[in-house]
Amino acid sequence: MKLRRSANKMLIEPPSVATGDIAFNLLVFFLVCASTQPDAGRKQEIPRSDPQQQQTEQSQNIEVSITRTTAAINGQVKPAGDFLRDLRLLLAAKTKPEDKVVVVKSTKDVPYTQWILYTGWIGEAGGIVTLQMEEEQTTLVN
Amino acid sequence: MKVARRQFKVEVPSVAMGDIAFNLLVFFVILARAQDDSHLQWEPAVAADVEAVKNTKVSIVVDNNNKLYLNGRELDQARLAGAVEKELGDAPAGQRTVILKIHNDSQALRFEPILEAVSEAGGEIVHILEENKDS
Repeated sequence: MKLRRSANKMLIEPPSVATGDIAFNLLVFFLVCASTQPDAGRKQEIPRSDPQQQQTEQSQNIEVSITRTTAAINGQVKPAGDFLRDLRLLLAAKTKPEDKVVVVKSTKDVPYTQWILYTGWIGEAGGIVTLQMEEEQTTLVN
Repeated sequence: MKVARRQFKVEVPSVAMGDIAFNLLVFFVILARAQDDSHLQWEPAVAADVEAVKNTKVSIVVDNNNKLYLNGRELDQARLAGAVEKELGDAPAGQRTVILKIHNDSQALRFEPILEAVSEAGGEIVHILEENKDS
């Protein structure tokens, strides 16, 4: 007697039950990978403000004023191309670490991009950024 | 004649154990990231010199709607210094990093008080920026 070999028995299909699990795990894995990318940035030391000390030392420190479109060193507006070079020259003349403090004044509308650019240059020139903010004062008008 | 009852062996299926372990692992990794602020929309400013940031305890975000968030939770500017101080606790220097994710269009009126508050709380400021590869 001849036995007929069934064609179906030779077909071995990979189990499709686990496909969903595999796809889900891959998805979660790549999502986690994408969300845990390390941040990159720049450190900045901003000394704690001491109003009394600030008043006595302010005259000796370099002052940088930033507006939306310009920047000035000790009141003199500098083109962006000259800013770093001129600030380096000024800071090179300062020997004491406390004299390397650069007082940064910004107008209210200075965008963060502009501020980061100039404070980055101050750090590059060897200066220590300190902020001088406009204080809010309440004036009573009779 | 007595017919012995056939005993069925019942076992916990071990095929899925790897999958379960992996999913639990991923779940706890995500939970551990307590300062998740990935849902917030902001664009970083561009800078030439940036370095990788590690060991961050506190994250501050100013999003594209000019709203302030501390570790993913919206916060009022007036309460920022106290909240940062609380988050940092007694951490020693070097482990008091506060990352600032400030939207590139934010104005000084918004971000300068934040810098002052972090400085007041004794935080070590790190601005999160995008590297400018052209320069």
